Amino acid sequence: MHPWTAGTGLPYSLWNFYEMRPDEHSPRRPRALPRHPRTARGRWTAADLSLIAVFAALVAAYSLLPGIPLGAGVPITLQTLAVMLAGIILGPGRGAAAVGLFLLAGLAGIPVFSGFTGGLGVLAGPSAGYLLAFVPAAFAVGLLSRLVLRRTRRARLPLLFAAAMGASFITVHPLGITGLMINAKLDFPAALAADMAFWPGDVLKNFLAAVVGVSVFTAFPRLAAKGR
Amino acid sequence: MRGSADLLGAYRPGGSPIHRVPLGVKAATVVVLSLTLLILRSLPLLGTALILILGMYAAARLLQESWRPLKVMWPVLLLLGAFQAWSNGPAAALLVVGNIVACVAAARLLILTTPPQELLDGLVALARPLRFLGADPERFGLTLALMMRSIPFLLDSAQEVRHSAMARGLERNPRALTVPVVIRAVAYAQQTGDALAARGIGEAAGSPGPGPGPGQVNP
Repeated sequence: MHPWTAGTGLPYSLWNFYEMRPDEHSPRRPRALPRHPRTARGRWTAADLSLIAVFAALVAAYSLLPGIPLGAGVPITLQTLAVMLAGIILGPGRGAAAVGLFLLAGLAGIPVFSGFTGGLGVLAGPSAGYLLAFVPAAFAVGLLSRLVLRRTRRARLPLLFAAAMGASFITVHPLGITGLMINAKLDFPAALAADMAFWPGDVLKNFLAAVVGVSVFTAFPRLAAKGR
Repeated sequence: MRGSADLLGAYRPGGSPIHRVPLGVKAATVVVLSLTLLILRSLPLLGTALILILGMYAAARLLQESWRPLKVMWPVLLLLGAFQAWSNGPAAALLVVGNIVACVAAARLLILTTPPQELLDGLVALARPLRFLGADPERFGLTLALMMRSIPFLLDSAQEVRHSAMARGLERNPRALTVPVVIRAVAYAQQTGDALAARGIGEAAGSPGPGPGPGQVNP
C-alpha cells in the first residue's frame, strides 16, 4: 500500500496511474538521436571544418580589405558583416567557432586584424571590447537565425535583419562600451556616445548581412536545412 | 596581389638574442608586462617599461620599427589623449595613451621576431593541454591551416568581384560587391570539404567512417 493511498480506499495502482508520464504508456520508441549531432563538440565533419576555416578567412579578408564607399563617400569596413554572416549561414556553433578561430589567429600575431596589425596588443587598445564581442555576436545571431529558418520560409529578409540587429545590441554594443570604459578609461556617457557613432553603419551592415544571407540560402538551400 | 605578400606578416628575419628567445618565453613576457602595466597603472612603471621595450627593440636591431604602430594608431590615440586630458588631467591622459602604446609595442616585437609558422605552431601547442576538455589539436591545426590558405583566395576573389562590379557601374552597390564573394566562399568551402572527406582527413577520431558530405543534411 502506497502511503498516499492509505485511507483513501483507492488502489495503489490507480494513484500510480495518475503519476505516470504519458509516454510511459505508449510503446517504447527508440531513443531519439540528439537533434544536432553535427554541432556537438568534436563531432564536426571535414565539411564543417572547411566551412569554419573559410568563414574565419572571410572575416580576415574583410578586415584587411579597404572598406567599400557608401553614399557620402564614407568608406565602411565589412568586418562585422562577415562576423554576422558566419552566424547566419553556419549557425551558432560553427559560426562562433569560425569567428573564434579568426580571433585566436589575430591574437597569436597573424596579421589578420584591420590595418595588418595583430597580436595581444589589441587587447589593450580601445576597440578590444568590440573584437572580443565578435564571438558571442556570431553565436547569438546564429541562434536567432536558426529560429527564423526553422519557423518560416517567408519574410526571411526582415527576420534575419532583426536577428542581426538583436544580436549586435545584446553583444557587440554592451561589450564594446565595456571595453571603452576599461581600456580607454571613459565614463559611461562618453563611452556610449563613442559607441553611438557606430550605430548607422551597424544598421546598414546588418541589413546587408540579411540580404547576403538570403541570397546564400537561395544558392545553397541545404545550408538552411534543419541539421545545421 | 597585395594580400598574399602582406600575409607573410610583419616578421623581420634576424639572428639577434631577441630572435632566439623561445616563443613561450616571449609570449609570457608580453602577457606579464601588459598585465602589470594595465593593473598597476603608474607613470614611473610606464616610463620604465617603455625604456625596457625600446631597449629590447634595440637588442633586436629593429629600433626603426618601434614607432610603426603609431603611424596607424595616432588619430585614435590623439583623440583619446585629448579627451582624457580635458576630463581627467594630463597625467591620466599620458597614462592611458602610454599604456596602450607600450602593450602594442611589446606585442609587436614578438611578431616582428617570430616566423608566422612558429606562431601558428605555438597556437596549436596551446590547444594540447586542453585535450581533456575534448579539444583536438590535430583538427584545430588543420582548420587553422585551411583558414590561412583561404585568405589569399578570398582577397583575390573580392578584388575580382570589385572589378566586375566596376565594369557594370555597380562599384557603389554593396550587394553586387558582397553576394558573389560569399557565394564563391561557400562553394570553395564545400569543394575543400569534399576533397578532405575523400581523403579521410579531418574526421573526428570516434566517427564511424567518412562523414556526410555536403550532399547529406543529417546522418
